[in-house]
Amino acid sequence: MKYTTFNQQSTNPLIEPMFFGNPVNVARYDQQKHAIFEKLIEKQISFFWRPEEVDVSRDRVDFQKLTDPEKHIFISNLKYQTLLDSVQGRSPNIAFLPIISLPELETWVETWSFFETIHSRSYTHILRNLFSDPSEIFEDIVVNDEIKRRAADISKYYDDLIFATQLWQTQGEGVHTVNGVAHTINMYELKKKLYLCMNSVNALEAIRFYVSFACTFAFAERKLMEGNSKIIRLIARDENLHLSSTQHILNLWAKGKDDPEMAQIAEECKEEARAIFMNAVEQEKQWADYLFQNGSMIGLNKEILCQYVEYIANQRMSAIGLDTPFEISSNPLPWMNNYLNSDNVQVAPQESEISSYLVGQIDSAVSEDDFADFEL
Amino acid sequence: MSSNDKSLRIDVVDVGAIISPSDSTILNALEAADVHIHYHCREGFCGACRTKLIEGEVEYTTDPLAFIDDDEILPCCCVAKCPLKIKVPL
Ligand code: FES
Ligand SMILES: [Fe+2]
Ligand SMILES: [Fe+2]
Repeated sequence: MKYTTFNQQSTNPLIEPMFFGNPVNVARYDQQKHAIFEKLIEKQISFFWRPEEVDVSRDRVDFQKLTDPEKHIFISNLKYQTLLDSVQGRSPNIAFLPIISLPELETWVETWSFFETIHSRSYTHILRNLFSDPSEIFEDIVVNDEIKRRAADISKYYDDLIFATQLWQTQGEGVHTVNGVAHTINMYELKKKLYLCMNSVNALEAIRFYVSFACTFAFAERKLMEGNSKIIRLIARDENLHLSSTQHILNLWAKGKDDPEMAQIAEECKEEARAIFMNAVEQEKQWADYLFQNGSMIGLNKEILCQYVEYIANQRMSAIGLDTPFEISSNPLPWMNNYLNSDNVQVAPQESEISSYLVGQIDSAVSEDDFADFEL
Repeated sequence: MSSNDKSLRIDVVDVGAIISPSDSTILNALEAADVHIHYHCREGFCGACRTKLIEGEVEYTTDPLAFIDDDEILPCCCVAKCPLKIKVPL
């Protein structure tokens, strides 16, 4: 089905599925099939922040004090996060928008992606402060084998879905040969690719950031690189919200609350979905290995970091109806909770004095009297 | 509205029973009783505190945005309406 930017047919978005129904026409939010997405949009917008509001200048001094293994840990994590947000800043838009059928979901995806671009811009803000020329760091992201391996796994499912959607929207269902390779395009195959892609995005935001978050907050526990930590806390708050959205999508499908065919696919592809998650867990553990290859940092080592990944993975796998495959039953890094508490992010800019920090946190309490003079 | 002169018993599986002031979020009540469970946002959008509600009923003080199943609650943003039995993420 050809994509149109304004579908001229009258549709009823209250009965459309989230994906692969009719293209959206009117961007209206007065009525919603899945109200959760409208609520997520509101929440996300209320989080608005700018990297420039966070003063990272003291980090430059701290960075010079780090040992070489610690510098490796710090910079490698920034590279990996830069990769993740490079992918997330564009991919949900390109992969999902052409096949979304609900206005509230369409706008959620756009809002989500926009915040990923804030994350990307914040890495430049951090690195510019540390190095007069950060090019070398950015350029390494495309050539570093450790990062590349992860990039391939992360972008694979998006790329598959995008390519299949392009074939479908330009040539329709059937077998299409492109550069000598035959591609079978039908609704079932498309939906399956969408399902796997959503699982991959879910796993990405559920666990792929957490090794890096843990290192950042372990530095902050030692009062080091606190500007960076402040930014990562803002990013982590956004990521938790993004994660909620893909958990909702996966559960709406699995519980038969959206598209019945997706419920069937969720059942059929459960093992594949699980494998995507387990592979992400494995890669995160290998990442911990790579980070600590030159030596650990105070407060963290590879073992405890891997346990934390398993702990988080159990939690997040059970949220999408999977089993909890790991033994670990209590949080090995309880101090992490503090840094992921959104209250701390908003109201308590303790360590570094940042007066502009609360920009964007506008009091939305409006009393009846405020409207007394209004006549509509 | 609930008043704070009322306290409710919360049975926490594998941990023991605590007494919660009826106007305190369940997460705060647990922490006051030295039961430390997993949390991130404390605002109902991340799901880190997702807890099984085995018995009883809760009331949300903030609209929960994180995904929860029918038999689950987010203790960071709800209060107990009656005595509860719950299983928490430690
Ligand atoms: S701590 Fe985030 S939902 Fe309860
Ligand atoms: Fe991000
Ligand atoms: Fe994200």
